[in-house]
Amino acid sequence: LDQAARDHLAARLKAVVGPKYAFADRYEVRLYQYDASPETALPDAVVIPGSAQEVAVVVKICAEMGVPLVARCGSSSLAGGTVPVAGGVVVAFNRMNRILEVDLENLRAVVEPGVVNLALSQHLRPLGFYYVPDPSSQGACTIGGNVGTNAGGPHTLLYGVTVNHVTGLEVALPSGELIQVGPKKAAISTGYDLTGLLVGSEGTMAVATKIWVKIAPVPPASKTLLAIYQDVRTASNAVSAVVGKGILPAAIEMMDNLSIQAVEAASHAGYPLDAGAVLLLEVDGIPAVAEDLAQRMSDVCREYGATEVRVAKDEAERQALWKGRKGAFSAMGRLSPDFYVMDGVVPRTKLPETLEAIARISERTGFKICNVFHAGDGNLHPLVLFDSFKPGQYEQVLKIGDEILKLCADLGGSITGEHGVGLEKRENIRFVFSQDDLDVMDQVRRVFDPLKLMNPGKLFPTDGQRAVPAPPARSRRVGAPAPEEEAIWV
Amino acid sequence: MGLKTQRRIPGKQISVEDQRRFGVDGLLPSKAMYPASPEEAAQSLQVCAEAGVTAVIHGGGTQIGLGNPPRSYDVAVSTARLDQLLEYEPADLTCRVQAGMRIQVLQETLAKKGQRLPLDPPLPGRATLGGILAANTNGLNAGRYGTVRDWVVGIAVAYPTGKVARAGGKVVKNVAGYDLMKLHIGALGTLGLIAEVNLKVQTLPEAAATLLAHFENVSDALEAARQLARSYLAPASLALLDRKTLWECGVTADWHWTLAVGLEGYAREVKAAQTQTSGVIRSAGGRIDALEAPPGFWERTRDWPAAETDQVGLHGMSSLTGLASMVRAAGPEARLLAHPAAGEVHLRVPIGTAELMLWRLRQATGEEGRVIVRSAPAEMKVALNVWGPPPPGFPLMQGLKRALDPKTTLNPGRFVGGI
Repeated sequence: LDQAARDHLAARLKAVVGPKYAFADRYEVRLYQYDASPETALPDAVVIPGSAQEVAVVVKICAEMGVPLVARCGSSSLAGGTVPVAGGVVVAFNRMNRILEVDLENLRAVVEPGVVNLALSQHLRPLGFYYVPDPSSQGACTIGGNVGTNAGGPHTLLYGVTVNHVTGLEVALPSGELIQVGPKKAAISTGYDLTGLLVGSEGTMAVATKIWVKIAPVPPASKTLLAIYQDVRTASNAVSAVVGKGILPAAIEMMDNLSIQAVEAASHAGYPLDAGAVLLLEVDGIPAVAEDLAQRMSDVCREYGATEVRVAKDEAERQALWKGRKGAFSAMGRLSPDFYVMDGVVPRTKLPETLEAIARISERTGFKICNVFHAGDGNLHPLVLFDSFKPGQYEQVLKIGDEILKLCADLGGSITGEHGVGLEKRENIRFVFSQDDLDVMDQVRRVFDPLKLMNPGKLFPTDGQRAVPAPPARSRRVGAPAPEEEAIWV
Repeated sequence: MGLKTQRRIPGKQISVEDQRRFGVDGLLPSKAMYPASPEEAAQSLQVCAEAGVTAVIHGGGTQIGLGNPPRSYDVAVSTARLDQLLEYEPADLTCRVQAGMRIQVLQETLAKKGQRLPLDPPLPGRATLGGILAANTNGLNAGRYGTVRDWVVGIAVAYPTGKVARAGGKVVKNVAGYDLMKLHIGALGTLGLIAEVNLKVQTLPEAAATLLAHFENVSDALEAARQLARSYLAPASLALLDRKTLWECGVTADWHWTLAVGLEGYAREVKAAQTQTSGVIRSAGGRIDALEAPPGFWERTRDWPAAETDQVGLHGMSSLTGLASMVRAAGPEARLLAHPAAGEVHLRVPIGTAELMLWRLRQATGEEGRVIVRSAPAEMKVALNVWGPPPPGFPLMQGLKRALDPKTTLNPGRFVGGI
């Protein structure tokens, strides 16, 4: 848009939300050009609505003016999901962060999209309940963003991903309508499951304004184990063994040596620095059962090559172990100025060969690659360490990413387990879907958004070259980040 | 439709027996198709679409009475030859099957490796996975393990355009592309033919136990169910039965209301759950007379909603509190089977009072819930409005139908709002 069109757009948006909450000033909108991915793009305008009705009017204005829009909440997308790559309006949900209802009788909560994931569980915990999906970024990411990407987290192994916990949505459509879909407080309803379809559609069909989620009683006890291995292959085999022995852990996470180094330096959780790999395993249950299962898992881990198994003695030790894991990405700042995180998935039994192939890629290219991931689900997060100030490195890293995702796809897996396709992997989607598959998805999309104004440039391939952003023109502080900086990010 | 006799209807000549078997609400197809691959299925549908004829997809036929009578029905497309297990890796806890496979056959294969698919729809010896997805048929354990949508990780669908398109994948965690599995689950075959299904499976529970409790009045039974449904040691199966339904499920006791509780899990967990459940039941005023169900009880209870009767079958779905309202509204003489942890209730109602009962239930459940007619004589279906009012977002649903089945080849008119 040119400046005149931008001013006109901003004026219309201000009329809806008030002068304070809409702006198109080139300086102010810069804050909304990025998320947690390396890509950036400037929006034409930003609007921060305060109600569903305001969102609906904003969406209608965008449709009338033919301007794209991108919904944004915690902006912790690692896949460029909220980068306004086609310009247009960023709709920020920061003000729509209210928990509207908690219905313990029906095991539901109703929230606005801007509610931070962890805030919901903190709100529910005194009542003996919680919201189950817990992405590692749960201190920053929001339920709205979780719905957009169908977010996962460490505990999906037993409890499923976001879509298994969302039963209803209120959405704004490009027509300006606000509709409520899904069984909401029931489990099933009649008609097509529009809620299930929209969760994980990355904001490409509609904008959610209200969300019905399941809530669950907090497990009476959780036991967390740290199993220490000499190498990742032995640890990977132990993962399959635990699952094969009929134990249903709530989570099985793996970290390799390089990750342990970073995490331990950042969080002092007590991870052994000389281990080749560690598994973090958790079981939930009533105290006697959790105790029992922890013992059984511990035995299996030892039988399958663990040099040592430590059981968290108390809640503080357990929290320390999880803090290390959930802060792993941000701790990488200690190893490298930049890192690039992948989100590939392979069948659990293919973990050893996948990790070995990734190690070979690392050796061949000279880039260090850490692995910290959801081993129980086969959901890998290889982190390629690099320095964006060194010319050509980022381009090389992107090629490594493509290679790793192709590897996952060829082994029967997927290019993304929880981060979403976004901008980052829109070309990689061809690794897993044919043109016929994508055509059907596109037909479905056009039913909701015939003008393709909803988060354009995401999820679907453009068959163009991926834009490689110029190295950021910023200064860089030397040394480890402050603890509070590490605590807030992904 | 006066031209019907002049149209050339594609497909194989159909035997009289198959014609009757594939009939829907008294309408009989004149031809049948038996594709043996997703590609053949897509070609079959394309041939129908291009000839301008209509098709009904047929799996095990256990839910064929669901929905409005089709506006027209020329060709039956059977998934009988799509019955192969394609992949199964126990350590990955996943499998890939063709949609015509009967769920019992799959369960037997999984059981050999100590695993199962935790779905227990009625008539598993007949019900196919494709049909279970299309009709979104859930069983007694949905309150604990979730519904069909929670176990499907990938799908291959044959469309009337002649194309086969996939969504999801084989792995348990995957957010690449749109989740079209959700779109086809519960779509009653109105958007395409589900040809292959990729599923999550789980390890068989270590232990199981049953408690049968009886109550003088339904409110006490509902209160016990309410507490059990939201407790951490929630039952795997929870069923509320009236006296006559209990008899039909094989328990000849003179109990007003029975709460059947199935517990599953690790051995110590089940023991603890037994103690807790007994406590809840007693404090709600119930009596536990049997710690064991008679042989075949759970199977009969599971199958009860799908059994063929000369009565009208109703199916209510609501929130947990909405379920309680529906059960109360049904009255003391109702024949019903409720799943209080899943918010579902199935009723059998004499033809003469079906309309009144349907009205009462729809009043009781409010806008939150839905009550549909599961089975009824075809001539009654229109008057009963089998799906109830069109759900919110109905224009989008019509749009999806137009986009994926532009010539209305599949199941015309059977779905909500006449889709």
